[in-house]
Amino acid sequence: MSSILLVDDHAVLRAGLRLLLDAQPDLHVAGEAEDSRAAVAQAAALQPDLILLDLSLTNCSGLAAIPSLRTAAPQARILVLTMHDDEGYVRQALAAGAHGYVLKRAADAELIAAIRAVLRGELYIHPALTRQLLEELLPQMPPASPWESLSEREREVLVLVARGYTAAEIATRLNLSPKTVETYRTRGMEKLGLRSRAALVQFALDHNLLTST
Amino acid sequence: MNAGATKQHLSRWTSAVWNVIGAVNIRAKILGIVLGLVALMGVAATIEVRLLLEQTLTNQTYERSVAVARDVAARATDLVLMRDYYELFRLLRDTQANNPDLRYAFVIDSDGTIIAHTFGSGFPVGLRDANTVTAHEHHRSVLLTTDEGDVWDTAVPIFDGRAGIARVGLSLVAREQTIAAVTGQLLITTIMAAAMGITAAALLTWILTRPILQLVELAKAVANGDFSQRARRWANDEIGALTDAFNTMSEALAQVERERAEREQMRSQYVTQIITAQEEERKRIARELHDSTSQALTSLLVGLRSLADRHRSPELKQQVEDLRGIVGHVLNDLHTLARQLRPSVLDDLGLAAAIQRYVADCRTRSGLTIDLAMPGLNNERLDSALETALYRIVQEALTNVIRHAHATTASVVIERRTDRVRAIIEDDGCGFDPASLSGDGHLGLNGIRERAALLNGHLIIESAPGHGTTLYVEFPLPAPPEERYEQHSVGR
Repeated sequence: MSSILLVDDHAVLRAGLRLLLDAQPDLHVAGEAEDSRAAVAQAAALQPDLILLDLSLTNCSGLAAIPSLRTAAPQARILVLTMHDDEGYVRQALAAGAHGYVLKRAADAELIAAIRAVLRGELYIHPALTRQLLEELLPQMPPASPWESLSEREREVLVLVARGYTAAEIATRLNLSPKTVETYRTRGMEKLGLRSRAALVQFALDHNLLTST
Repeated sequence: MNAGATKQHLSRWTSAVWNVIGAVNIRAKILGIVLGLVALMGVAATIEVRLLLEQTLTNQTYERSVAVARDVAARATDLVLMRDYYELFRLLRDTQANNPDLRYAFVIDSDGTIIAHTFGSGFPVGLRDANTVTAHEHHRSVLLTTDEGDVWDTAVPIFDGRAGIARVGLSLVAREQTIAAVTGQLLITTIMAAAMGITAAALLTWILTRPILQLVELAKAVANGDFSQRARRWANDEIGALTDAFNTMSEALAQVERERAEREQMRSQYVTQIITAQEEERKRIARELHDSTSQALTSLLVGLRSLADRHRSPELKQQVEDLRGIVGHVLNDLHTLARQLRPSVLDDLGLAAAIQRYVADCRTRSGLTIDLAMPGLNNERLDSALETALYRIVQEALTNVIRHAHATTASVVIERRTDRVRAIIEDDGCGFDPASLSGDGHLGLNGIRERAALLNGHLIIESAPGHGTTLYVEFPLPAPPEERYEQHSVGR
């Protein structure tokens, strides 16, 4: 039987969750807290196996509470239950020490599976959110650089485009017509296999071409 | 018909002449008029004087030649009759000595033989027959043209022709010299008059053009938006009146400009207030949807799940399952609505996270390829108003791309430097002519321009039909940023 601490500022939801979780044979709700201060106190007193934590608390951010919860109950696993479905929150919650991330709109279907997974020592993240995280973790392909194959002018133009200059500004700087600038840019980007300005900026960042900023 | 053609011809000529005259400046015009007048006067006076002088001198020489010839004839009568040729020769020499312009004198006897003459050696051929006089005539004068100039040759009969003819020739060379001298004098006078005319014209030009040039400078300043300068009033004439009118106009323009600037400032204050109020209201509603409504619905979801777990009736389970489906939909819709109103990421995690999220949403929603790069914009937060503005601008720009550009690829670049931040939204769509930026289709761009201007930013549009569109929005950043890392604020 694993003990759970519910941290959420919404009393009705806490009641609903307690009803749901207590109905499971292997889970029971040991305590509830509606803000982070009470949560830390409860965690220290109850030493629960799992803390179900909402990120939007009344007086303080749930994210900020994670480290103190970890200190108060070192062996407790922390599962974030939140409305926020942005990767940014996931990244920060995991960095702060959470073990799982479940969206409230999936509370009915996934919550219990997530709780069990986290209790088993696994990491649970809502499937819709994992893709981007994984993409960031995958090793970047070292891009073969055709940069050297570009002409001097093409390189000059591309660096200025990547630095955010307008076509008119580049034309003035390099003493070319805007049309010629456009030609150099198109040709250079084709040679590099880049389809857009943002791709070029990313390329320039990867190849350290924006050093003067 | 003919008159019309002539008139047309005339007007073409007039305009051609005016093109030449009108092209030169006032100084050249006045100088031209003065010099022209002086030269005309000079030339006319010279010609007139020359004609008059020539006539007078010719008459004078003629009269003298007659007088001298008669004198010689009178005094030669006795000498011819006495055949005293030596005295006759002396008489001719004396006469020549007394009249410096006497070119020659000679006497012909009744047989036609030259008995005395003043030519030292050799009598010019043909001179004898060049002039003659009958016995009854008083005299006869002929103007001879010789290689030494004009000569008045006068023949007078001696002793009524019975003792021959006396002939004298008075040279008109002196006349030419006098005329040349007078002409030279007149020319010098003309040149001096012209010099004085030029000086006077230059002075006049300076007096006339100085206030005009000053007004031109002033008009340029006004055109550049500087209404503070005033023209100095030099004289109490028409130009003085123009100067007064100009100063009054500058004053009025300055007043209008001040009022306009005041109105503009008030307007941008109002717009800022409206935008701030709108954002605040959206934020409040989004939070409310998130924190209260969604929480309540989540409770409902959880409650339904417990209900289903505790009952075995398959009919009830199905019904609860349906209800959970509905609640789930409503939750999703509310979530989307809240994010569209104002994404909480923008406040909690900052611009980069919010833009990333928005771009990802746009990709799925529109099927457009959208690349994103945000160099220099990592965890550091910008001013909240600036973040909101940049977010809304990217939102508006991408909405425009999706709606109007017919593009396949779009790209969003937000570049933060130490002193400025620049957002570049580019697409490879149909483009448009930025000069024709006024219709309803470009309300979005005007909104972007407006939002940028409120935070001292500006919008540059580069586009051409068929060549895609690039929007550059740049904002200045106030002071060099403090190092602020790991300062997250999630939740309220």
